[in-house]
Amino acid sequence: MKGRMTWFNVTSVALGFAFLYIPILLLVIYSFNDSKLVTVWGGWSTRWYAGLLNNEELMKAAWVTLRVAVVSSTIATVLGLLAAIVLTRMNRFPGRTLFSGMVFAPLVMPEVITGLSLLLLFVAVGFDRGFWTLTLAHTTLTMCFAAVVIQARLYDFDKSVEEAAMDLGASPLKSFMQVTLPIIAPSVISAWLLAFTLSLDDFVIASFTTGPGATTLPMKIYSQVRLGVTPEINAISTLMIGVVALGVIVAALSQKRAMVRQQAETRAVDAGAK
Amino acid sequence: MSVATTNDTMPAPAASPSAKKARRTPAPQSSFAPWKDPNATPIVRFENVTKRFGSFVAVNNISLDIYEREFFALLGPSGCGKTTLLRMLAGFEKPTEGRIIVNGKDVTDLMPYERDAVNMMFQSYALFPHMSVERNIGFGLRQEGMPAADIDARVDEAMGMLELKQFAKRKPHQLSGGQQQRVALARAIAKKPRIMLLDEPLGALDKRLRQTAQFELMHIQESTGTTFIIVTHDQEEAMTVSSRIAVMDHGELVQVSTPGEIYETPQSQYVASFIGDVNILECRVSNVLPDGQLELNWVDGTGKFVAQPPPSGATKDQQVWLALRPEKVRIGLDRPATDVNAIPGKVENIGYLGSISHYHVAVGNDESVTALRANASLAVDNTINWENDVWLDWPADAGVVLIR
Repeated sequence: MKGRMTWFNVTSVALGFAFLYIPILLLVIYSFNDSKLVTVWGGWSTRWYAGLLNNEELMKAAWVTLRVAVVSSTIATVLGLLAAIVLTRMNRFPGRTLFSGMVFAPLVMPEVITGLSLLLLFVAVGFDRGFWTLTLAHTTLTMCFAAVVIQARLYDFDKSVEEAAMDLGASPLKSFMQVTLPIIAPSVISAWLLAFTLSLDDFVIASFTTGPGATTLPMKIYSQVRLGVTPEINAISTLMIGVVALGVIVAALSQKRAMVRQQAETRAVDAGAK
Repeated sequence: MSVATTNDTMPAPAASPSAKKARRTPAPQSSFAPWKDPNATPIVRFENVTKRFGSFVAVNNISLDIYEREFFALLGPSGCGKTTLLRMLAGFEKPTEGRIIVNGKDVTDLMPYERDAVNMMFQSYALFPHMSVERNIGFGLRQEGMPAADIDARVDEAMGMLELKQFAKRKPHQLSGGQQQRVALARAIAKKPRIMLLDEPLGALDKRLRQTAQFELMHIQESTGTTFIIVTHDQEEAMTVSSRIAVMDHGELVQVSTPGEIYETPQSQYVASFIGDVNILECRVSNVLPDGQLELNWVDGTGKFVAQPPPSGATKDQQVWLALRPEKVRIGLDRPATDVNAIPGKVENIGYLGSISHYHVAVGNDESVTALRANASLAVDNTINWENDVWLDWPADAGVVLIR
């Protein structure tokens, strides 16, 4: 029978989730540890969070990370939107298959290779590595994710809605801004959030493409851990987990809301057809 | 059979350029018939329009004139090119060859948003899901940059016309199918176009709602004086609403005539069988009588028929088809006085529909003819039953001779 709760099923699910989440849970709990020693429990405290605010280096890294994430995910969403439109709307143009393959290749490309190739490019053209090289690198990484998310929505977009807008006198740009974009907005938002979280926790590409003065949080954490784990690291990591989880949850919710609304519309039309 | 003529063989009526006074009525002898007036200028003209998608020819060299205040139907099975023709007029497809002239202006190369005289109602309604009913209806007016007060007045007028006022603040997904259909219509009509295009506007409605909506369409068309061009595959709908029908097949116009002419004088077997029920008897012309009438020999049985010749005429020994509407075939138990236009048969099947009955009669060599009889009296003495030997006969002007 399907969906039966056997002991075997329950155990395997429990073990799977434990494997996934116990380390994270441990980190979160130890971020509230009063003791200076990471492995010794000394009672509850939030002093490491308060201490974070005074740790200038960590705060600076967090600020860099945030700025890079916002700028790169915004550029990536715009580029991804354009790529998705071209791929869904222009059915036949020479090299379409090649183009779509090239847009999505970075999805499966090892990050080390993306990072290395970008580093070589920046060196070759003589870009000073720092905030902008890092932002560009993250844009290339996240653009294809944004394109995938938006393209999925555009595929089942009723094109006659856009035609109706044009028929009523709206230019293609106006009909896109007033009709298409508001309708696909949930997928654009979730594309942005996905790009944002990807940029936030990237370590590999950042370490290739950034320079002095633009150290990101994941890099900072890594370099500090090499000198020994401090409770502060646990605290900042917990905050990062929180931000990423929030981003993912909001993205999922906005997608789901859009889907539910779409289903409601379809139902209404079907009911009318009967 | 590339281009059907618009009955230019018919004599033009005495005076009918006063299209303003004319009212559209579906009767064949309507006074509104600008297509018969050689001086009338069409509001829409297709000139040798061809549309190819790759190697597929969707519309093949169509020339067609549509006049102001017409309710014009493009009728045909799916894939016959009727929607492509409409979309070319709206500007969504560009003709491969030929020109489209609207209101005296060549619009062939204009984009949809540059064609002010034309607005379209979509089969899927294509309502904007993120806008309320009133925002949907006002969308086209906002594009024109009309002052807000004027927009409100026009939206209000359109909502009043289609009884949508109580739904003004609702979103499309909160409406039933019939209400959505009215919003789609109101949104296009609010622009006050000269020509309104409707792509299967009632296809998604159930039968009862569709009949109401048909009369609503006719009412709006008459009260606004707009030219309506409707695409449909429903022949009853086309017959009900339109002043003229263009029957299409494989990207070509097969016949363009009023509903009455299409039904009474179809020009081909395709048209005859697409509109209503018809019996088709294959014949050979045996003689052309001095008064012009044709004497026909039935190919699939023994029978001698007399019928009016087709407009193009016919010659001796030519293969023709005699089309007979079921309601024009008389069925009886007794042998008629004359052998002309009369054939014997055996009742195979009876379809009793209350007001009328259909009699399917086996005739000749394995052929079947349907006759229709109104159940006007309760008399039982001449009741026709299964397996009865019967006679079918019809007057000489009942059949239409088709040459293809």
